[in-house]
Amino acid sequence: MTMPNRSHDGFTVADFDHEGAVAETAAKAEQVTGGTRAGFLRKSGALAGAGLVAGSIPVGLSFAQGSAPPASDIAILNYALTLEYLESSFYNEAVSRGKLSGATADFAKLVAQHEAAHVQALQKVLGSKAVKKPTFDFKGTTEAQSTFQKTAMTLEDVGVTAYEGQAPKIKTPAILAAAGSILPVEARHASWIRDIIGHGSNPVPAPDAFNPAASMSQVLSEVKATGFIKS
Amino acid sequence: MFQSSNDLPTLEELDRDGALREGAERTGLPRAAFMRRLGAFAGAGLVIGGLPAEFAFAQGSAPPASDIAILNYALTLEYLESSFYNEANSKGALSGQTKSFSKVVAQHETAHVAALKKALGSKAIKEPKFDFKGTTSKQSTFQQTAIALEDTGVKAYLGQAGNIKTKAILAAAASILPVEARHSAWIRNIVGQTPAPDAFQPSATMAQVLQVVKGTGFVVGMASAAPSGAHTGNPSMTG
Repeated sequence: MTMPNRSHDGFTVADFDHEGAVAETAAKAEQVTGGTRAGFLRKSGALAGAGLVAGSIPVGLSFAQGSAPPASDIAILNYALTLEYLESSFYNEAVSRGKLSGATADFAKLVAQHEAAHVQALQKVLGSKAVKKPTFDFKGTTEAQSTFQKTAMTLEDVGVTAYEGQAPKIKTPAILAAAGSILPVEARHASWIRDIIGHGSNPVPAPDAFNPAASMSQVLSEVKATGFIKS
Repeated sequence: MFQSSNDLPTLEELDRDGALREGAERTGLPRAAFMRRLGAFAGAGLVIGGLPAEFAFAQGSAPPASDIAILNYALTLEYLESSFYNEANSKGALSGQTKSFSKVVAQHETAHVAALKKALGSKAIKEPKFDFKGTTSKQSTFQQTAIALEDTGVKAYLGQAGNIKTKAILAAAASILPVEARHSAWIRNIVGQTPAPDAFQPSATMAQVLQVVKGTGFVVGMASAAPSGAHTGNPSMTG
């Protein structure tokens, strides 16, 4: 087992914080309402994340050398990394199974590259703090065009709400810039697959004037519901 | 009419106090530093009404002048987009998926304008006068222009994310950014251009974006930022 402490049926907030500092406070905060989350993240910010590799990282992901982001930012990055692992594995599996055709095949190929680049960038930034890749079971959704399309749409829409939900909580400007440079790419993916499916009408590529956001716990419960994360 | 450049919104016009401009000219950055300094000037007179989710600022909290400037910058871009799509819809020259796209997107941009105006209240910049030079009356020029406007919008919002000081304003901008990205990908797919050309979305500074906007020649007259007795009742100017 690569990650003995993780629950077997999906990630929890605790999985992104091995020191237990965020999780402990989170458990309390979850019982209260939304506004307290910023509070506990602020508190956990006291613990500086050490051991980060600041190498030559794409565009937005280059931190100033020697600056250690707060533990809350590390937790957010690992949360993002988990979602990117999920997406990346999904598209890579779909591409290697070779069951997609036409615009959907083109979509999967390009998006697989993007998600792999996101994984790589996040791993590099996190260095030794990076959460390990889970094992996935996509339950055959990568093998049929229609189930692939629907799953891709869900994953991308969730990805957008996830990044958007964390944006105001990120403390380090370089991390905000990095997350900010990924957010619209996920939105582009979502819009693209929606347009492939519905030719502009059903589903609509841009269904809302203001994109909804989702909290970490909302997103993790949606991820858990897919049953895609085995361990 | 207020003194303003005839063909584009400038930093000066987005920042009537002159605070941002002064700081920007003197310090060739660090931007964060001069933005922090601007934070001393509190933006007053904001209307906090029943805004869509993200636009609900905490009552009584006045965002710094730098955030007001960013909101007015966003509002200027949304005016531009909104006017473009509304004109395209009323000209009626679009067809098929492009027509559906334009209808949906016009609603979104109009909603963005309304939300930003409401958030800014009396600080809201007035709508400029536009001339879309016929790009709204032909399918192909509409498509190319829509791609340029949406891609610019995404870069513009992304470029400001790190400069926004007020959490609620950041959340608001973060709810618009992916919508502009969805629009861009949508019209790109209609045209046959790659909907998501980069793994990491490039951003652009305010100066870069305003240069692009200027390049379009679509803004033919800037109204004044805030209403004042000196120039009310003089609603338009010619370009």
